[in-house]
Order: sequence, then structure tokens, then C-alpha cells
Amino acid sequence: MNALYLRRRLANALAMLLSAMATVVGLAFLIWILWEILRQGISALDLKLFTRITAYGEDGGLLNSMVGSLVINFVGIGLATPIGVLAGTWLAEYANRTRLGESIRFLNDILLSAPSIVMGLFVYTIIVLPSAALTDGSTTFSGFAGGVALALIALPVIVRTTDEMLRLVPSTLREAALSLGVPQWKLTVQILIRSARSGIITGVLLALARISGETAPLLFTAFGNNYMAFNPMDKMSSLPQIIYQYANDPGEAMHALAWAGAFVITMFVLLLSLLSRLILSRNKVSHD
Amino acid sequence: MTDSALATPPSTVAPKITVRDLHFHYGDFHAIKGIDMDIPAKQVTAIIGPSGCGKSTLLRIFNQIYAIYPKQFATGVIEMDGQNILDPRYSMNRLRSKVGMVFQKPVPFPMTIFENVAYGIRHHEKLSRKEIEARVERALRSAALWDEVKDKLRKSALGLSGGQQQRLCIARAIALKPEVLLLDEPTSALDPIATSRIEQLVEELKSQFTIVMVTHNMQQAARVSDQTAFMYLGELIEFDQTEKIFTKPGKKQTEDYITGRFG
Repeated sequence: MNALYLRRRLANALAMLLSAMATVVGLAFLIWILWEILRQGISALDLKLFTRITAYGEDGGLLNSMVGSLVINFVGIGLATPIGVLAGTWLAEYANRTRLGESIRFLNDILLSAPSIVMGLFVYTIIVLPSAALTDGSTTFSGFAGGVALALIALPVIVRTTDEMLRLVPSTLREAALSLGVPQWKLTVQILIRSARSGIITGVLLALARISGETAPLLFTAFGNNYMAFNPMDKMSSLPQIIYQYANDPGEAMHALAWAGAFVITMFVLLLSLLSRLILSRNKVSHD
Repeated sequence: MTDSALATPPSTVAPKITVRDLHFHYGDFHAIKGIDMDIPAKQVTAIIGPSGCGKSTLLRIFNQIYAIYPKQFATGVIEMDGQNILDPRYSMNRLRSKVGMVFQKPVPFPMTIFENVAYGIRHHEKLSRKEIEARVERALRSAALWDEVKDKLRKSALGLSGGQQQRLCIARAIALKPEVLLLDEPTSALDPIATSRIEQLVEELKSQFTIVMVTHNMQQAARVSDQTAFMYLGELIEFDQTEKIFTKPGKKQTEDYITGRFG
């Protein structure tokens, strides 16, 4: 009896040790990355970073890239959110357990893991090239095209989270509302989406975090721009693209700027994650 | 086919719902196999039976809530006030405004206490703010919840206790002034005190509504119902006055179930 007990305790201790080690390994790399970004970028972290544009090169900042990133991300998330939430709602509420719904859910999951560069090439082919024909052949890279490419990456994430969050809403809630004689659309808009609201918002924020670090889809679409551009129809700089460009530059100062850009993106993503956690936890408290 | 002695309990009250040769299928599974039953108006009818006997299924046909799931269908006739509610031409939303339902687990909507009760009223009737407030108050009073929530009507309903939430669901259902109230094991998720409050409430409400209640708790059926139906394997075995079912049941199966010999 005692031997059995001892063996269980040993097995338990071993399992605990292995999982703790796995956690430490995972976290160690994360902390290392964060530390390295901070250490390398700190020399370029000054006011200039936020006030000067990239045209000044080594003496410049990243203002136009930050503005570009904001505009492109805004276009991307602005396009993807309504389509994604509606599509996810359709999947969960109108096509759940139908063959069509299952196939679309499957295709969406494939889209979820599609390489982002493919999205960039796709948008290059369907937007950038055709619009060149409209402007006597001059190239027509634009922030808007970049936004569309990012929207294609955010879309499946939003579809997936909306679908999952709605399917987590217990079916008893649907039955309770329908048993009051309320039609399906009212139930969906006024009760189900409301119940799943914080989950859906979190999904949108995480999609935003995901696209704000994407580089490849922007190379053939937004292209880059050393000057300030606010119009999404112009070529646009963006943080990931400028990091890519500066990291390939031989100059040390350029590397520092690239690291500083990486630091800004990381902080932005961290902020988004914190915000989504806050929304989720606030909602949980009100449920108690 | 129809054993009319079985269908009609010796009640002098006119039936509110008349069930004839009712069958129900979940895909290939034949869950209800030809039921005939007259449910008297403004009384409490309890449906008892072992798990899987079809008692909840029967209840869910009365407001056609099953219809939201694919591959479930009912055949036969259920007449309410002389109209067959299984007729596809009978408006489902109208039916559901006349037949309210309260479920096993309390399911408040994610909104304020006031909005929970006002929700159904707003959908079915165009009323002024004042009138809605009056209706909400009356419903909450009838559900014996008013005194506990009158100072926090604008707070989320999710903050109420389980028993309060269940009474809120009852208030939400009766706010529509239904004619029939279906209760699907309304106390199985509640503690004994909350349960006895709901039972009291059922007693009070039967003067206004025809109540059909599914319960797995035989003492509860004996305490609150006027008629009791015993179901087994999708069939109605016995339907009679509650007192008779629990003191001298007519069928051996009923007796065995009530005395705890099976089920």
C-alpha cells in the first residue's frame, strides 16, 4: 500500500517538474526576446523617433511609419471586422451543423493558416496590378491595398472567434428567447451577440495585434514611403516594413532605429493584449 | 387506438389543450408513441416518469420549441382553443406568446432585471414607457420577486441568486400574459428554500394560467399538482387526479414507479 502511494507521489513530482521546466523554457525565450528588443532599441528611443520621418535616415525617426501602420491597420481591421462578425454569426447561428456551414468553417480554418505573403501577392494581383491600368501604367502601390491584405489575414481570425464565442452561448438561452415568441434575428442581435460581446471584441483586438506585426503582405501592397502620407491611396510606410528595410541596412544607427520600431510594435501589441484581458475580466465580474 | 378513459381525467373542468394521437420523432428515434390527453384549464398538471420517458419532449411540443432543431418532428393533433397548433399555418410566434415556458436552469438574458421582463412585452405590444413599467412591476409581483429587486431594477440580472433568477424567468414568461405556462423541472437546479418558494408561486399562479409541469420529484408533483400524468418509454401510462395516482394508482407500472420499485 505504502509503496503504491510513494510511486504515485514520485510520478506526480516528476510530471510537475517536467511541466515546470517546459514553462520555464517557453517563458525564458519570451523574456529574452523582450529584453533584447529593449536593450538594442533603447539608444534610438528618444523624442526624434516620434517627431521625425524616415526621410532623414540616421537622423530621422519613424513618425511616418507609425502613422502608416495606424492607417493600414485601421483600414484592415475596419474591413475585416464587419465582414468577419457577420460571417461568424452566420456560421454559428444559421449554418451550424449544416454541410455548407461545416465546409465553410473548414475553409476558414485553412485561410487562418495561409502564409501571409500569399495574401500580399493575391492583393498585388487583384488590386495593385489592375489599378495600374487605370493610371497610365504607373505603379499603384497604396496603403489601402496594404489594408486589404491585412484584412484578409484578420478576417479568418475574426470569423473563427465570433463563431466560437457564439457557439459557447448555451442553447438554453436561445430556447428561452425563442419561447417568448421572439424571431431569430432579434434573438441573434439583441441577446446572443450581447452575451458573446466581450469574446468577439477580444477576437477583434487579437486580430489587430496579429496584423500589426505583419511584414510580408505589405511589401507588394503598401510598398513603403520615406515621406509622410495620410491618404490611404498613396504609397505608405509601416513599422514592420521599415524594420525589415533598416535591419538590412549596414549602418549601426539604422539597426538601432529598427530595434526601436520593434519595441514600439511590441508595446502596442502588449497594450492590445492587456486591453482584451481587461475587457474579458470586467465582463466576468459582472457575471457573478 | 384511443383509449378515451385514459385520455380524460375525471375532471369537470373544460380542457385547455386537447392532445390526440401525438407522435414525436428525433430523427429515427420514436420518442412519443401516440398520446391522447386532455389538459384542464387553470389547473396544475404534472408529468412524471423516469429519465428518457418523453416527459420533457411532450412539454416542448406544446410551444413547438423543438422546431428550432433540424430533424425533429411531431404528428397528430394538439388543439388549443379549438385550433390545431401543429398545423404549419398556425403562427409559431403567436403560439409562443400564448404559451410561456420556464426551463430547468434559470436563463436570464444578459441585460438588466427590468429589461429581462420588458423584453418580450416590447416585442409583442406597442406600449408607452409608463405602461411597460406597470406591466413589469405586476409581473415581478406575481412572481414574488418585486420586493427583492425593486431597488435594483437597472442592475444586471446575472447578479441575482439562482432562485431569484428562476423567479425572474417566471416573471418574464407571465409578463406576456400567456394562457398556458410550461415548467420544465423548474426547481431541479435550486436549493430547498428556493424550491418551496417556486412551489408556492405555482399554487398562486394557477388561478390565472393553465400550468403544465414536468418534474422528476414525485413529492413535488403530489404537493402542487391537481392532475398527474405518468409516462414511460414514450407512452402515457396513466393520467388521473393527483390524489388518485399517488394513493390508489390504476396501473401496476404506475404503482411500481411511485413506490420506487423502478425508475
